Amino acid sequence: MAGIWIVAETREQAFELLGAGCTLAPGMEAALTAVVPKGSAPPGEYIARGADEVLLLAALAPGEPFGAHLPVIEQEAGAGSPDLILFAATARGKESAARLAARLGCGLCSGCTALAFDREARSLRMERLAYGGAAIQKLDALSKPVIVTVPPRSFEAAAAAEGRQGRVRELPAPPPSPVKIVERKPKEKAATDIAEARVIVCAGRGFDRQEDLALARELADALGGELGATRPVTEELHWLPEDLCIGLSGVQVKPELYVGLGVSGQVQHMTGVRGAKVVCAVNRDENAPIFALADFGIVGDLYEVVPKIIEALKT
Amino acid sequence: MPTLIACFKWVVDEAYIRRGAGGTLDFSSVDYKIGEYDRNAIEEAVRLRDAGGGGSVIGLTVGPPESAKGVKDGLSRGMDQAIFVSDASFRDLEPSQTAAILAEVIRTRIPQYDLITCGEGSSDLYAQQVGPRLAERLGIPCVCFVQKLALEVGRLRAERRVEDGVEVVEAPLPALVTVLPDINTPRIPGVKDTLMAGKKPVTTVKKEDLAGGFEAALKTGAMTAASLERAGEKLAADAAGIARFVDALRKSGLIR
Amino acid sequence: MNFKLTEEQDLIRKNIREFCVKNVEPIAAEIDEKEAHPADLFKKLAEGGWMGIPIPTQYGGSGADYLTHAIVVEELSRSCSSTGFTVSIHVGIACMLINLLGSEEQKKKYLVPLATGQHLGAFVLTEPGAGTDVMAATTTAAKDGDAYVLNGTKTFISNGPLADTYLVFCWTDKAAGRKGMSSFIIPKGTPGLKPGEHFHKMGLRSSQTSEVVFKDCRVPAANLLGAEGAGMANAGVAFDHGRVGIAAQGVGILQAALDESIRYAKQRVQMGSPIARHQAIAWMIADMATDLQAARFLTYYAAWLKDNKQPFTKEASMAKLFAAEKAMHHTTKAVQIHGGYGYIKGAKVERLMRDAKILEIYEGTSEAQRMVISGNVLR
Repeated sequence: MAGIWIVAETREQAFELLGAGCTLAPGMEAALTAVVPKGSAPPGEYIARGADEVLLLAALAPGEPFGAHLPVIEQEAGAGSPDLILFAATARGKESAARLAARLGCGLCSGCTALAFDREARSLRMERLAYGGAAIQKLDALSKPVIVTVPPRSFEAAAAAEGRQGRVRELPAPPPSPVKIVERKPKEKAATDIAEARVIVCAGRGFDRQEDLALARELADALGGELGATRPVTEELHWLPEDLCIGLSGVQVKPELYVGLGVSGQVQHMTGVRGAKVVCAVNRDENAPIFALADFGIVGDLYEVVPKIIEALKT
Repeated sequence: MPTLIACFKWVVDEAYIRRGAGGTLDFSSVDYKIGEYDRNAIEEAVRLRDAGGGGSVIGLTVGPPESAKGVKDGLSRGMDQAIFVSDASFRDLEPSQTAAILAEVIRTRIPQYDLITCGEGSSDLYAQQVGPRLAERLGIPCVCFVQKLALEVGRLRAERRVEDGVEVVEAPLPALVTVLPDINTPRIPGVKDTLMAGKKPVTTVKKEDLAGGFEAALKTGAMTAASLERAGEKLAADAAGIARFVDALRKSGLIR
Repeated sequence: MNFKLTEEQDLIRKNIREFCVKNVEPIAAEIDEKEAHPADLFKKLAEGGWMGIPIPTQYGGSGADYLTHAIVVEELSRSCSSTGFTVSIHVGIACMLINLLGSEEQKKKYLVPLATGQHLGAFVLTEPGAGTDVMAATTTAAKDGDAYVLNGTKTFISNGPLADTYLVFCWTDKAAGRKGMSSFIIPKGTPGLKPGEHFHKMGLRSSQTSEVVFKDCRVPAANLLGAEGAGMANAGVAFDHGRVGIAAQGVGILQAALDESIRYAKQRVQMGSPIARHQAIAWMIADMATDLQAARFLTYYAAWLKDNKQPFTKEASMAKLFAAEKAMHHTTKAVQIHGGYGYIKGAKVERLMRDAKILEIYEGTSEAQRMVISGNVLR
């Protein structure tokens, strides 16, 4: 029987990765195994969401990083011989996936944007972005297993189903890691995470002054959404904090609606928006690249147009 | 006096890639560069050498013979010497191969070293794998996504950025780090730096000199142009245009 | 014939381009608008060793070839033609003259701070009544013991208000005609040397241009650059080197005009398609690209001749004449391609066109260049 393994740091990650696994398992005729930290959730929750087997990573001593689990994961994967191992493309996930790939001597597709099983060819089709977002790279695995890291929110979390059965096994404690965490500096949680926002109003260079961003915020409120920004507005002008920066090297967003105000539409920014369902733009330059990359665009001065849109929304 | 190894790659400058016919990519006018993240890795190694009052930085790169210019570019950024692993077949290596080659070179030719610095990813493929793979192959500790780094006696202290904040970690040397772009600002080499680069020692290693097959674990089936294009309906900023805009938003059920 | 740049020259070009994108592009429009000299930028240029590229390292330069300097002037001019020009005149004339003609003491005292960019140089020749007609100058340097006393007014002097080191050309013996001029190195602050009226120009606005007035300005004989009476010959050396720099400036302006025209033509849609697909515009761009290529090779060839220790007066003159005229012609076309948008302040091509005109006038007008070239060819 084929095997798909998911390795997650948190419950939310695991649910998404199980969602990905569930789309592939039927075609691959594979069993799903969830490798998750003990205590992240009752194992039953993972089984309900598709895991046939739950392997619980031992609680780590303080100061041991997530990567300490690797020797244990390597051992289990060597014995279990899955066909595919999925990690989330987070910092820890990417590092762990690469280190595991080196230990298992197998291939790794990083930041996979499309993942499907070709039943006829009996192989996994993987796609990812290359050349700064300009290219789509199609990959084929030449090894077993193949490891794939998946950007957060690429897949819907698996839905819980009643009555599913599965096995649970506790994994042994790993040896101490040479890398030790001596201090943690948690990030002040931003009021909202724009990566989760359903509606985003993005402010670009078209705004003349920092104070004028209030207009973008007003539109965001009127639409029930969050404020985002382009790289010049955050990293160059520092008008908004960097965690609001949308783009290839910033946050990749997947809102239902994105409205770019005074955003020119450079590739590096728009690649961060490609997941949006509907893209709208307001820009006074009719030749701005964003208009070709948007579903609806208004050519006009945002200072005049946006108040009118807000007005029209009220009626 | 530490010995530092800075790994870097000579890559296609994506600014020169053009769209070809039928969704293909046109590489005919491309120029090359050392990827931005690799420049941070080189700069960090050089900075640590200079902060410690001495030591040496060895640059290491794998590529086809044309990458020799990249070796010169790397040397103009402050490294003391370079090892260039070169073969015509090294044009499109995948990360598992690059890591295997680098590991073999380091094992056989740089027996003593304290720290390896790598960029968090290469600017062409951005797979973000070679650093951690290399560390595993060498059996040394690995710290990825480092935004601040200091070397102490026998160990490193680093701040690494994860989703929920920053982890301050320590690891014994020798170790490998991958660095983030905000760790430093890479210098722009001056004219003298570029002219002196050609005089620094370069060891060229051929594929035949290395033990191992370096087989690929992944194959690239195709590289096509990504398209972000959409419906592109352009409206005027008059009453009619704005009404249509708001109407479209309402109809899609996306807003209150 | 090897038409390729060396790896070093190519890497240096990449590096100065990166420098320009980071440090010059963001301020170019503003310093033009405000007629401001960007002191911070020149500090950075000095730190990077960009202010003395062809000067030997023992005198504070980078010891590179003149072609490398030309490439750097080209790239700087592509972003801001005032900046490219200031570096061109500083290196190509002030530094090169002292390097080629100065005594060891003069080089140590004056060339080192110039080549390291600590000091800025100025070339002081033109007068209100003496432009192309150099012999009509009236500024004199009268010998007095072991010094010379200068009296007269110079005008249109670039870096006039700010230079630390002035290279001044004037009569020491009017009766001797072409062998009666001499050149002097005069530091800022010498009593009797004063920058005069500051000019507000059509273009090249961040370059500071003024009169320089000499009134009983006493200069030690040790500051005579080269032999007494060698002034005209020295001016010839200055023009040969300076003209390669101006040609490179023209190439940079042409490149910028082409970059802007291509970008705009691909985006601007009229009559249903981007104007780049309309033949009239496409042909304008074809001509621009062709003349840019020609200007570049004329310029690089003149620099190559100098680097290979061959006479290059005619070639420098040809390169300067061609690049200047084509820069003016094609920046006008670039504005045309942009239509109304090209005429508005803030459009880069608006500034390029204003900046281009002076290339046909300074460091020898196009008419003067034609005299040099025909004089050479018709011998």
